[in-house]
Amino acid sequence: MDGFDLNSSENADASELQRMIAIEQQKAQFQAQVHNFTDVCWDKCMEGSPSSKLDSRTETCLVNCVDRFIDTTLSITNRFTQMVQKGAH
Amino acid sequence: LDGRVFIYASENAEASELQMMIAVEQQKAQFEAQVHTFTDVCWDKCMDKPSSKLNSRTDTCLASCVERFIDTTLTITNRFTHMVQKGGMH
Repeated sequence: MDGFDLNSSENADASELQRMIAIEQQKAQFQAQVHNFTDVCWDKCMEGSPSSKLDSRTETCLVNCVDRFIDTTLSITNRFTQMVQKGAH
Repeated sequence: LDGRVFIYASENAEASELQMMIAVEQQKAQFEAQVHTFTDVCWDKCMDKPSSKLNSRTDTCLASCVERFIDTTLTITNRFTHMVQKGGMH
């Protein structure tokens, strides 16, 4: 009977731990995606030497950049999926 | 003896199922990696300054880019294979 109680709480601990790990993995994935966007969009949007503030033109570019990069990824994914399903070259 | 044979059969079935699942996940990962490579390459070639939507000129460029990148890879593969088969590089 005591053993039964112990198994229950071990299972609860294991589930809680799994949940915590999943949350940390999500946070890490989010961070990695932010770094990727920053790398890509810094090159596209930051012209010349960085100035003393982030002007609105650059900021607009950054917003567009993230959206367009996602559109680009989706467009390529769809096209490549079609090519693979058609049986490539 | 019957009980033992039964256990082996179900273990084999599970092992095959697991192998198949692993193979499927590997294929998915390879596909994703390929998409990321294309995206990196073709973003640089096709995207000037990001605007408020993906215009059709850019979209066409992305489609051509993927196809031309594959053609390029094949051309280089064939040429390099040829070079290696002829006995090394000078």
